[in-house]
Amino acid sequence: MARRRLGPEGRFLLMALPGAIFVVVFLLLPILSIIVFSFWRTESYTLIPDWNLDNYATLFGTTTYMTFLLRSFTTAVVVSLASLVYAWPVAYFIAKHGDRYRLLLVLALAAPFFTGIILRVTGIQGVMGPVGVINLGLMNYGLQPIDFIMYTQTAVGIGVTYLFIPFMVTAVYLSLLNFDFELLEVAKINGAKPWRAFIEITWPLNWMGTVIGLVLVFIPSMAESITPRFLGGPNAASFGQVLGLQFGETGTWALGSAMGVLLFAVSSLVILLMWRTVNLQRSGFTGGGH
Amino acid sequence: MAAGSRVAVAAYKGGSGLLLTLLYLFLYAPIVYVIYTSFNKDLIWPFPPDFTLDAYFQLAESSTYHEALWNSVLLGLGSAILCTVVATMGSMSILKYRSRWRGLIAVIYLCPLFVADLLVGISSLLFNRQVLGLPGNMGSAMIANAVHGTSFAFLIMIAQMARYDWRLDDAAMVFGAKPLRCFWEVTLPIIWPAMLGAFIISFILAFNNLEISFYNLGAIPTLPTIAWGSLRFGLGAELFALAALVNGVVLVTFTIMYLLMRYRIVSFGHRD
Repeated sequence: MARRRLGPEGRFLLMALPGAIFVVVFLLLPILSIIVFSFWRTESYTLIPDWNLDNYATLFGTTTYMTFLLRSFTTAVVVSLASLVYAWPVAYFIAKHGDRYRLLLVLALAAPFFTGIILRVTGIQGVMGPVGVINLGLMNYGLQPIDFIMYTQTAVGIGVTYLFIPFMVTAVYLSLLNFDFELLEVAKINGAKPWRAFIEITWPLNWMGTVIGLVLVFIPSMAESITPRFLGGPNAASFGQVLGLQFGETGTWALGSAMGVLLFAVSSLVILLMWRTVNLQRSGFTGGGH
Repeated sequence: MAAGSRVAVAAYKGGSGLLLTLLYLFLYAPIVYVIYTSFNKDLIWPFPPDFTLDAYFQLAESSTYHEALWNSVLLGLGSAILCTVVATMGSMSILKYRSRWRGLIAVIYLCPLFVADLLVGISSLLFNRQVLGLPGNMGSAMIANAVHGTSFAFLIMIAQMARYDWRLDDAAMVFGAKPLRCFWEVTLPIIWPAMLGAFIISFILAFNNLEISFYNLGAIPTLPTIAWGSLRFGLGAELFALAALVNGVVLVTFTIMYLLMRYRIVSFGHRD
């Protein structure tokens, strides 16, 4: 044979590496590069390799930036928890009682996600924006508009939940799809009350799927920059919105990089803390696709 | 007690069913409202209905939207091709070979899911500009979107191919087929629905993406960036028409995919 044959390990790497390198080069290297740039400074739209900590000093020393960060963090936590509380019974219902309509029910929940953030924000603004159909309708009948959805943080929260709740339902649903509901019958035969079976069996065995859902909702919610602009008004500016500004009008890329790094650090910390609560043995994880 | 628990079960079923219905209402009311309003003369208060196609004519006449539509299609196609190729190779390698690196490779393929669009957007903007010396262009936007879409495509492929019988490949190889020919003649005819599903989903994602595309396209307009620009000046008629069209196309695509899966014509990565 002219060519030496590759072993399984070699063939695996030949097929897996191009894609892995693609992701590393175009996702991880850019993130590494903004970490570097966050220690530089910008002068008239150019990055200058002049190592300093000024960007971080500005970020941590300015109350408004910290307010934006805290606001985005709080919104993301509230939205993730709200999605969790709402998505669980819904996903459970579909997985357990959906029968042959399961696929239809869950696809119908996932589909709206794919029309893109901007058109979805357009839609939700048309319904519950300050001049949306709900408030105009109320006013047309001589009633008071609903104050708490007019340019408030609550409106932003509802809007962000609207955007990302499909992730939560899908994650919990997929987890429940692989959950053996027979276990609950066993618990029942042994005299466990339904709520106890839930707390001791269903919840821990699906905790990994729940964590994945929480994280998938938390991360985009924390970085969300479109919804606050259109539903939140002047007092609801989010961290992501201000981050975006650094790359637009002001062109302060070094500060923007530092804000990006901070956002990435907070998100990574949340992922890490959540992942530490997952016990692979208890979550029924068997080590891969088999 | 039996009656009590039956009532409890009925209440639980009814309650969850109600929650599910309310969730559909929450998710679809804005879409239905946008589609309904796009056919109306009065966009602010479209009751009683006064039907017109003005919004669609406005959209059709705008040359900005024509250019943007073409760019979005191009971006979607480029990104989807990249995603599908990368995800097919990645998922096949992980399912076919028992390597000690499998876990690490899977984590790498999935980590774009855990980085926000905004971060992908700004970091690849600065990386391309500063490190690679590239200005914003279609190619870098395709790549940045493809990184994000790869995870989705990968998950779809894994779900489908977990059931694929790799002994078929071994059999082909025993009879002397070269790996590439084996893929072309044995694997591809079986896994193409999953690849098509991955392609469609990553196309839709890139087509509709705002935050990654916006920072990487320079001055090239796409539908979401144009929509974002005009939304800043309030909800215009052409925006309603655009939202109605895109929502319509996406929902029809999902309906077709569902029907094909439901009647087992094509599986798109779904397993019952």
